[in-house]
Amino acid sequence: MSTYVYGFTHAAHPLNVDGARGVGAAGSPVRVLRQEGLAAVVSDAPEGLRAKRRDVEAHTWILERLSEGGTVLPMRFGTVAPNDSAVCAELTLHARHYAGLLTKLAGKVELNVKAVHREDDVLRDLLQQDRALREWNEALRSGGGSREAQIEFGEEVAAALDDRRAADGERVLAELRTHAEHTVIGPPVNGCFVNASFLVPDDERQAFAAAVARAQDAVATVADVDLYGPLPPYSFVTES
Amino acid sequence: MSVVTQPSGGGRPSGNLLYNVIELILDRGLVIDVFVRVALVGIEVLTIDARVVVASVDTYLRFAEACNRLDLTGDARPVGLPGLVGSVTEGAAEGKVKGAIEGARDAITDTIKDIVGGDRRPR
Repeated sequence: MSTYVYGFTHAAHPLNVDGARGVGAAGSPVRVLRQEGLAAVVSDAPEGLRAKRRDVEAHTWILERLSEGGTVLPMRFGTVAPNDSAVCAELTLHARHYAGLLTKLAGKVELNVKAVHREDDVLRDLLQQDRALREWNEALRSGGGSREAQIEFGEEVAAALDDRRAADGERVLAELRTHAEHTVIGPPVNGCFVNASFLVPDDERQAFAAAVARAQDAVATVADVDLYGPLPPYSFVTES
Repeated sequence: MSVVTQPSGGGRPSGNLLYNVIELILDRGLVIDVFVRVALVGIEVLTIDARVVVASVDTYLRFAEACNRLDLTGDARPVGLPGLVGSVTEGAAEGKVKGAIEGARDAITDTIKDIVGGDRRPR
């Protein structure tokens, strides 16, 4: 039976997952494997596991609960070991590395910030600030304009929007970077122009939230800035 | 600005939070070479760079049309928008003609919904 792995932590962690059900249709019971002063939180791996909502939920829920009891190193969703012995062998082989990571991340959480433009608002702002673009738009609107002319104009607008995404992204990040120990930039999912994760000490979380509010103020006329977390340190457990 | 956190006290993760950080759960986290990773069909779309989506004739036309129909004479934006609810950006795409940003987002969003089962409200 292969073994699904949720995360690693210290053996001294309260490991508050009694009775928790893991991934899979039946929700295999969550178990703890201890080795070298470390603990791996695992369950039996179901056959044919896919990224179903239920499974992603179970994975994140278990990691969230563990995070409430202390620092945890989250696995990427879907990590499966051949068996329990292989998990214990991994803990033994890299015990110092994992213990070091746990120490480095102790008392810190991941906070994720996404900023997205409201399309009408940002386009209106671009036109209001760029006379040439505005007059071009007026000419097309009153005269109709051929398909080619519309495409040419739209391309210019897209380029202006790209510049604006970069500029507004820098404005948002400038407010936030100084309040985090580490910053990891993510892909622009869902059209956002900022997708960044920050490693923030627990006692800095309020200051960080205040910085996010300032970032929101800086771009309020054209964009929304949202804060997600606290999360297990998904973005800060790999080499850096 | 909105702040989306986990419900404390043992509830399952809220759909809103899960939906908005799904790429962290699927693309980040510890990777161990000797362990395998289960097949994640359709996940690749999450990392599509939005600029690739934007750079098409279709998108240029939609931007042009969006600009053409804008009212520039006054600030037509409803006041007090930011920070009311967590789903501001999701709701903004609904109830009006879809623009280029929303169009690109919807394509990606639909795939994410397939994976996480929709943008349900926090429970």
